[in-house]
Amino acid sequence: MSSHYEAPIRKPLIVGDKSYHDITVEVAAPVEGKANKLWWTVFTIALLAFLWGLGSIIYTIGTGIGVWGLNKTVGWAWDITNFVWWVGIGHAGTLISAVLLLFRQKWRMGINRSAEAMTIFSVVQAGLFPVIHMGRVWNAHFVLPIPNQFGTLWTNFNSPLLWDVFAISTYLSVSLVFWWTGLLPDFAMLRDRAIKPFQKKIYSLLSFGWTGRAKDWQRFEEVSLVLAGLATPLVLSVHTIVSFDFATSVIPGWHTTIFPPYFVAGAVFSGFAMVNTLLIIMRKVSNLEAYITKQHIELMNIVIMITGSIVGCAYITELFIAWYSGVEYEQYAFLNRATGPYWWAYLLMMSCNVFSPQFMWSKKLRTSITFSFIISIVVNIGMWFERFVIIVTSLHRDYLPSSWTMFSPTFVDIGIYVGTIGFFFVLFLLYARTFPVIAQAEVKSILKSSGEKFKKLRDGNHE
Amino acid sequence: MASNKKYWKSVEELNTKSSIVDTLKQNEFVEEIPTDEFLGDKKNLEASSTTRRDFLKYVGFTTAAASLAACEGPVVKSIPYVIKPDDIIPGVAEYYATTMADGFDFANVLVKVREGRPIKIEPNKEANGTTNARVQASVLSLYDSLRLKGPKANGTEISWADADQQIVSKLNEVKEAGLPIAVLTGTCASPSTKKLVNKLNETFGNVNHVVYDAVSESAALDAFEAMYGSRALPDYNFEKAEVIVSIGADFLGDWQGGGFDASYAKSRVPKNGKMSRHIQFESNMTLTGANADKRLMIKPSQQNLALIKLYNAVVRGISTREASPLNDAILKAAAQIKAAGSKAVVVTGIQDKNAQLLTLAINNAINSEVIDVVAIKNVRKGNDAEVTQLISDMNAGKIGALIINNANPVYTLPNSSEFIEGLKKVKLSVAFSMQDNETAKTVQYALATPHYLESWGDVTIKKGHYSLMQPTIKPLFNTRQFQDSLLVWTGSTSSYYEFLKESWKTDILEGKSWNQALHDGVFVTETVEEVTINEVDINAAGTELGKVKGTDFELSLYTKTGLGDGQMANNPWLQELPDPITRTSWDNYLTMSKADAESLGVINHNVANGALNGSLVEITVNGVSEVLPVLIQPGQAKGSIGLALGYGRKEGLKEEMQTGKNAYQFYKGFNTYQSDVTLKLAEGEHEFACVQLHNTLMGRGDIIKEATLEDYNHIDAKEWNKVPVVSLDHNEVEATTVDLWDSFDRSIGHHFNLSIDLNACTGCGACVIACHAENNVPVVGKDEIRKSRDMHWLRIDRYYSHEEDFAGDNEKKEAGKGVIGYKDTMAELEDPSENPSVAFQPVMCQHCNHAPCETVCPVAATSHGRQGQNQMAYNRCVGTRYCANNCPYKVRRFNWFNYPNNSEFDYNMNDDLGKMVLNPDVTVRSRGVMEKCSMCIQMTQATILKAKKEGRPVNTNEFETACSNACSTGAMVFGDVNNEEDSVTSLTKDKRAYHLLEHIGTKPNVVYHVKVRNTEEA
Repeated sequence: MSSHYEAPIRKPLIVGDKSYHDITVEVAAPVEGKANKLWWTVFTIALLAFLWGLGSIIYTIGTGIGVWGLNKTVGWAWDITNFVWWVGIGHAGTLISAVLLLFRQKWRMGINRSAEAMTIFSVVQAGLFPVIHMGRVWNAHFVLPIPNQFGTLWTNFNSPLLWDVFAISTYLSVSLVFWWTGLLPDFAMLRDRAIKPFQKKIYSLLSFGWTGRAKDWQRFEEVSLVLAGLATPLVLSVHTIVSFDFATSVIPGWHTTIFPPYFVAGAVFSGFAMVNTLLIIMRKVSNLEAYITKQHIELMNIVIMITGSIVGCAYITELFIAWYSGVEYEQYAFLNRATGPYWWAYLLMMSCNVFSPQFMWSKKLRTSITFSFIISIVVNIGMWFERFVIIVTSLHRDYLPSSWTMFSPTFVDIGIYVGTIGFFFVLFLLYARTFPVIAQAEVKSILKSSGEKFKKLRDGNHE
Repeated sequence: MASNKKYWKSVEELNTKSSIVDTLKQNEFVEEIPTDEFLGDKKNLEASSTTRRDFLKYVGFTTAAASLAACEGPVVKSIPYVIKPDDIIPGVAEYYATTMADGFDFANVLVKVREGRPIKIEPNKEANGTTNARVQASVLSLYDSLRLKGPKANGTEISWADADQQIVSKLNEVKEAGLPIAVLTGTCASPSTKKLVNKLNETFGNVNHVVYDAVSESAALDAFEAMYGSRALPDYNFEKAEVIVSIGADFLGDWQGGGFDASYAKSRVPKNGKMSRHIQFESNMTLTGANADKRLMIKPSQQNLALIKLYNAVVRGISTREASPLNDAILKAAAQIKAAGSKAVVVTGIQDKNAQLLTLAINNAINSEVIDVVAIKNVRKGNDAEVTQLISDMNAGKIGALIINNANPVYTLPNSSEFIEGLKKVKLSVAFSMQDNETAKTVQYALATPHYLESWGDVTIKKGHYSLMQPTIKPLFNTRQFQDSLLVWTGSTSSYYEFLKESWKTDILEGKSWNQALHDGVFVTETVEEVTINEVDINAAGTELGKVKGTDFELSLYTKTGLGDGQMANNPWLQELPDPITRTSWDNYLTMSKADAESLGVINHNVANGALNGSLVEITVNGVSEVLPVLIQPGQAKGSIGLALGYGRKEGLKEEMQTGKNAYQFYKGFNTYQSDVTLKLAEGEHEFACVQLHNTLMGRGDIIKEATLEDYNHIDAKEWNKVPVVSLDHNEVEATTVDLWDSFDRSIGHHFNLSIDLNACTGCGACVIACHAENNVPVVGKDEIRKSRDMHWLRIDRYYSHEEDFAGDNEKKEAGKGVIGYKDTMAELEDPSENPSVAFQPVMCQHCNHAPCETVCPVAATSHGRQGQNQMAYNRCVGTRYCANNCPYKVRRFNWFNYPNNSEFDYNMNDDLGKMVLNPDVTVRSRGVMEKCSMCIQMTQATILKAKKEGRPVNTNEFETACSNACSTGAMVFGDVNNEEDSVTSLTKDKRAYHLLEHIGTKPNVVYHVKVRNTEEA
């Protein structure tokens, strides 16, 4: 028996002997059950943070941008740092759902729903900042190319900030459509299980009249593929365009051609870290360990490790090019980053983003849930500091030393940032209680992707 | 226009016989109105609680209410002229020539008046007038909301008639008691006022006129009087100088009344390969020292010694052979003075008659052409001895009445408490004052005087130069001039205007037109006089001077470019004007050398947002103590400390303006040099409001390009005015020749350029204030300045070198090898040298032809004008601040808050009076928009329109900006480069011309000129 070669079996993507019905029940459980104390506690904290942020935003709009810590030299700091950070986080969702779909990576099915939800919620946070950072928010519509009574007055299509407007709105809409398409059969499932008429009504509205006919499924698959095809370039384009905000400028430390790939890698890096953070908690709280397995976390850790290393290469390339360019201002900008008054931010960025993911080379560490969670937090701190370092340390000491100064945040800066984190979690927590957090229809298709179960049957060993 | 159109109401009308049409024609209301149904319903009507009377009441009430509500329309305060004055055209500015003379600053100026409001001060160039920052800002003091608004007796308001009656009766009492009347005034230099004081003497007898300068030049006056017989100050024309040696004279500041920067700058611009050499010996880092070619730091007591040595070397030919850097420098300076002969000049700021005598003797010995002892100046007349005598007489009860005009002795006297005591013993004390200041609050009668823009007057700033002062607005308050009051008290019925006109016609005009003199603002009489020199024992003076002993710490008091003697302390523009050297606003402080700071344990450090904090020190001078903050000042002589006068006022000032501490309390014996100073570190820290936080140039020699005079004369310009090169197709080409963009044709129409000569710019800051006034730039206050949020459209960057000079910095930067070497070098370059070389650079929007700000604005709110200006459309701006981030020059300013009408920013734009100074041609920006230098587009457009209306092309050099107009040194020249004749056109092609940060390729329309330093020694 043991003499013949036995091909290795794929590891199961869903552990535990689940039946189709088990999946349905377990996915629907958080929606149908009652929220526990933990949910309420976290929700309350998130809500309070959100309200603090909201108060800070209202205060800013009512009084002026002067309530932030900005000055004549540093015109952007936490506002755009937060913007880029949130947009970056938003990248994982599309990558997982679109790119991995095209590459037929089936392990994505366990996590894509929540990853996409995270994408949409974080893009909402990101979108807030370009709006509220304006000195005159009430004229925000000026950035839209809408016909107006001023004759030929049009937006400036040369401005990367305008490209941002298009990039972010396209991204948000495509992501939303893609997400919703995937949600249709699952909403229908909830609708069919709903007992209360109100819930039934809501879920039937949300499911757009999904009937589950073969034609529905066929169209569903086709639309998913088409949308995946549409969304894939967006994964690359959105952060590329965000990086143009800096790359097309003339400020040393911003004016860098390496920015597009560097930003995209960084975005995927931080996005996966955020997915890890959220899912490690969610699989525990919503009892989804069978669907979001150690294997998922390990795979995501590998992506984090790879993108982290790409980002590290980019950092080193930047330093090299600054030196190699022979341009005094460029050289000083990078010297100042590493050794100037904000050296601590640079050190945090380097250690969090370049060194910490290297632990993932160890199988033991990358399969440890606790360790993955810690690293995911560390990476997100690091990525926030990356943007802070790029924005603030480039601006605070640029060309003319007479204008050099420093930046220090006020309680309003902090309030708005914490507020968006609160807002994000409010949305995510509400989502976790009302949406099918696992793409159960898809997951059901991979229930039997591993032969392990059959092998066990053959061996007569039922554990 | 009646219309014949007929409107059809229905098809039925086609049928002419239709009964319906007929009925409609006859009866407007087709259906019957149910009046009967309503009125006939007796039952319901009777049941109603509303009676007919009530109904009528309601109708009456509502009608009345409606008509009342209709009456209350918006109150529009602008009233059109019923009969329009000939010379006032709404929207067109009028200019009047007048003279500023506040006892500290004297200037021939032009006043720009819009719709009856003076809004800006400009130099009267036809009268050779120059303006400094304070003169430029003086227009805002007119609209000071805390001015004295009417006469007061012991703090309560009183009518002029009552005041006159009471004062005259008291004066008569004094006359009867046989006590003298003292008139204490600041320097007024007014011939007609002098006559009026004499008239007072005729009426009441025993009138003693004492002239008092808050910041005295008594020593210089005494010395000049001893040598040349008249108590005045010599004039200096530095343009003629080849060698200037200054020992403690801040002649680009307020030394002897100031105003020398224009002639100085002329000798500093290399012409035919020559420029003057300026050697400065001083203890504080002054504006003058910062502009010098060679600067030596010596303590005040050493300055005496230096002067004696210089005198000995130049006049007596004796040189001591002691090997010290000071001795060495003195001998070299002496050699240069001798070589230059009559083209040299020595000046000193030592407040000692003997020292002043020595310099006069040196200048006399070398027969200096620079000094003018004939056309003497009357800008300082104060007599310390007489003032001291007056105070002791007052305390002895020997003074019957004291009339104070244009002086604030209670604040400015070092022995102020003695003066207050003396005042109590005087029967009558009267103060004429524009502000409700310390003196006005202490005397019995505080009589409100008008601002000089509301007054008549005359001034002889210089002998033979008679300037006129004329009102440009009706007095805003119930004020009366000092001169008018004197006329009233002496029983005259004519007004001061009549008196002035009469007195000019008889004494001055020599039959020439009064109207012409008033139009010109100045009347010059040719006088040729021989000056005889009195015999003075200079050697004895030298010996006497040599006896002055130094102490461990010595204090030098000085006046700042902003506040001067402190009389305009309630002027927010001046409070916010950063000191040209320390770049600190809203404060005075002790300046101290780094070495002394270290030994005392004093530190300066930057807090998290970059703002500067400094230790506090308790200073004791001759028993007077005060706790003051310390600013570590590169270039401060070891063992010396500096402190600015003019701060620490409390009365008649808005709370925000009550900045700093009063340094007059240390001004003992009216001497700016005080020895016997002890310092002790005190608890706590002070928060400074610095506009510039980084002091060195970091070896970035392409920002301020420098050359030595030798290199400038003998080496190709490409060597010292290097154009950056870039690689194009693997060849090195000049960066200016490479262009990513298609160029526009800029040869048609006007194309504006601004040229800034770094050799001529002394850093005086007049342009900064002129820009404030012209462009309605808001004042943001100390807290916001601390947050690096100053709003100045035009700033003057000041850099210190780390090495001895900036060339040394560049070399040091190049020498730093390897990563560690580079890092260490750059860290070292952050610290200025102990005695640094200093450079000034005015920076405003560079109006780049390839502007980085324009491409990044998402809403196209900033875009390029046809005439080269980079324009801001405030209405379109949404405030993303992207443009400011992408500006390599960091000249864009964001409205962080709403500055006008905001009690958080209680400056001139928060009260109705202060708002009168606003220029109606320039928008007041709202919160959330970006603003910056517009290259005074409202001025260029006005010039173009004027020419167009007059049907002519714009004249050569007709275009001006506020800054170029205010620049007395000629450093800033504005014009149209499409006009070959305009001065700016040739300046942009000069071999010294370069653009700031040329390598970025922004192609600015502002051009700088390489700073040339004369490093030739002996």
